[in-house]
Amino acid sequence: MRLPRIFRTTPFRLTLLFLALYASAALTLFVYIYAATAGEATRRTDMEITREMHSLVAAYDRAGIDALNQSLIERAASERPFLYLLMDKDHRPISGSIQESPVEKFTGPPTWTSFSVTDQDAQGHTMKHPARGLQRRLSGGQIIFVGADIGADEAYVNKIVHALQGAGALVVLLGLAGGVLVSRNVTRSMVGLTAVVDAVRNGDLGARAQVRGARDEFDELAAGVNEMLDRLERSMAGHRHAGDAIAHDLRSPLTRLRARLEAAYLDVEAGRGDPTQALAQALEDTDGVLKTFGAVLSIARLQAAGAAPDPVLFDPAELAADISELYEPLSEDKGIDFAAEFSKDLQVRGNREFLAQALANILDNAVKYTPAGGAIMLRVRRRSSGEIEFSVTDTGPGVPDSDRDRVVERFVRLENSRNQPGAGLGLSLVAAVAEAHGGRLELAEGPGKVGEMGPGLRVALVLPRA
Amino acid sequence: MRILIVEDDREAAEAMERGLAEAGNACTRAADGEEGLAAAREGEFDVMIVDRMMPKMNGVQLIETLRREGDQTPVLFLSALGEVGDRVAGLQAGGDDYLVKPYAFAELIARVEALARRRETGSVQTLLRVGELEMDLIGRTVHRQGKEIDLQPREFQLLEFMMRHAGQSVTRTMLLEKVWEYHFDPQTNVIDVHISRLRSKIDKGFDRPMLQTVRGAGYRLDA
Repeated sequence: MRLPRIFRTTPFRLTLLFLALYASAALTLFVYIYAATAGEATRRTDMEITREMHSLVAAYDRAGIDALNQSLIERAASERPFLYLLMDKDHRPISGSIQESPVEKFTGPPTWTSFSVTDQDAQGHTMKHPARGLQRRLSGGQIIFVGADIGADEAYVNKIVHALQGAGALVVLLGLAGGVLVSRNVTRSMVGLTAVVDAVRNGDLGARAQVRGARDEFDELAAGVNEMLDRLERSMAGHRHAGDAIAHDLRSPLTRLRARLEAAYLDVEAGRGDPTQALAQALEDTDGVLKTFGAVLSIARLQAAGAAPDPVLFDPAELAADISELYEPLSEDKGIDFAAEFSKDLQVRGNREFLAQALANILDNAVKYTPAGGAIMLRVRRRSSGEIEFSVTDTGPGVPDSDRDRVVERFVRLENSRNQPGAGLGLSLVAAVAEAHGGRLELAEGPGKVGEMGPGLRVALVLPRA
Repeated sequence: MRILIVEDDREAAEAMERGLAEAGNACTRAADGEEGLAAAREGEFDVMIVDRMMPKMNGVQLIETLRREGDQTPVLFLSALGEVGDRVAGLQAGGDDYLVKPYAFAELIARVEALARRRETGSVQTLLRVGELEMDLIGRTVHRQGKEIDLQPREFQLLEFMMRHAGQSVTRTMLLEKVWEYHFDPQTNVIDVHISRLRSKIDKGFDRPMLQTVRGAGYRLDA
């Protein structure tokens, strides 16, 4: 049998557990209260009976059976709350305020007995009262019994027991009600999240949990789930975009490649011409495709990892010097003035290989787009914020303000750069490297327009302080 | 040269064998790690070409086992994994070079030749000589026909590498990896510029060029 949902929730189960704990604590308390009240009343009655017995036995020892008998008659007539019975050694009553011995046969030492007495109330109803008594054998062989009507005590005890039962029931009831309430509350908080999870499972990445503003752990969880979904959605969108872009960027060279191979094949089949040229061109196309593919893979891995692999602490100026040594001849061969300026004693933490590649990509672009007679400046410095900045400033045509965000996106190449080689992934990779290091890529205008030159571009790779 | 090819992709292995055989090498093929291990234990090879990911026993395990047994045959790892960490893991296992798939065939041949050659010149040299060219590794000087050639430190390293692999094709990627120690492909051919500067220093003014461009492969220094 399946329990209703509310009884299967974790909070409800927890409530049951706590309820069991509280109930045991309450039970212990009740036992103590019972012993201290009802038990105490019984003990007091017993004590009084014992004392009365002592005084009667003392009277017997002092003055004999007749004096005791006399005393019993007197005492029974008085307002004393005791019941008396004196019997001879064969249990035949001699005198007393109760007619029959509550004890069938008496043999041993003083014994306590519970019995009941009948009484008539004001309306003439016969009532049975619980009673309790002690009997002992006198030295002369007679048996004396002293009892007391404990009806009042019993009523008191019953009241206490009832009160305790009521309290116990209340504990359980309130506990259960509290459990239901808490689990309903929690369930209501969870329902939203569960709905979001269901929606996402069914493919709706746009679903978001409601943050109710209570600033509790559920809000925290909801906010966390939402942030996770935001990231996921962005990443999915990125992948989708990348997929489209890869399809776009790989399809045209692959189509060209296929056409070239087909033409070469047909030529060979028809026995005309030399296919070497076509094959060489096809190989070159293939390399281009592979390069694009490699760049896409690097970006995807960096983004998937979310952090640069194997980071080490190193001097950024050293890295920049290394890379500028690699690019300076290329720049000068193109008639571009190359200058470098590095601050000393800086440190960054990161993956040297990826940062080297990022810097190389930036310089690649600068050399590619700066015309002869222009200049490129590579600079490494610490910003006042403590961040480390690698910057490359060129005097090329630059990138219009409105396009700067776009060129960082994967595969975006501005129209006027279509005739330049490259897959358009250079800056995307730089951005991915920067992000993986907790840094960013910034594009700004270069030194401005000077004659035919400029306004130029300033590309900065900014890394957090080590 | 005797070359052991351990590669589970049969077509790729056959293409490799055909190409290497055409270049005058004797090849043995193994289709998985265990077969490769048996072949390596049995035969004598100048170079082993080992795919990293294979059934039964992967390339790294294979080479670790062979190195433990004292086999020092140079190993070129082939892998579809191109990340820095993968390369480092491959080299730590005892690989000598690492080539990411897909590769140009010229690249493969150049690297295999470089590995085999490295084995021959085991002793520490202080003087390199290739034809008219002389390099003093201690004095850091270079002479051609007795005339001193002034080189920048990087040009010196570049020439040293070319001289150590004289007569062999070396690719641009190899130069970037071995001389500059970078493992990425620059979009522009920065290496060409460095080579042309080096060429203008060692060949200019002499009757015969030593530093050759090999079409579709890279460069070669001839004696």
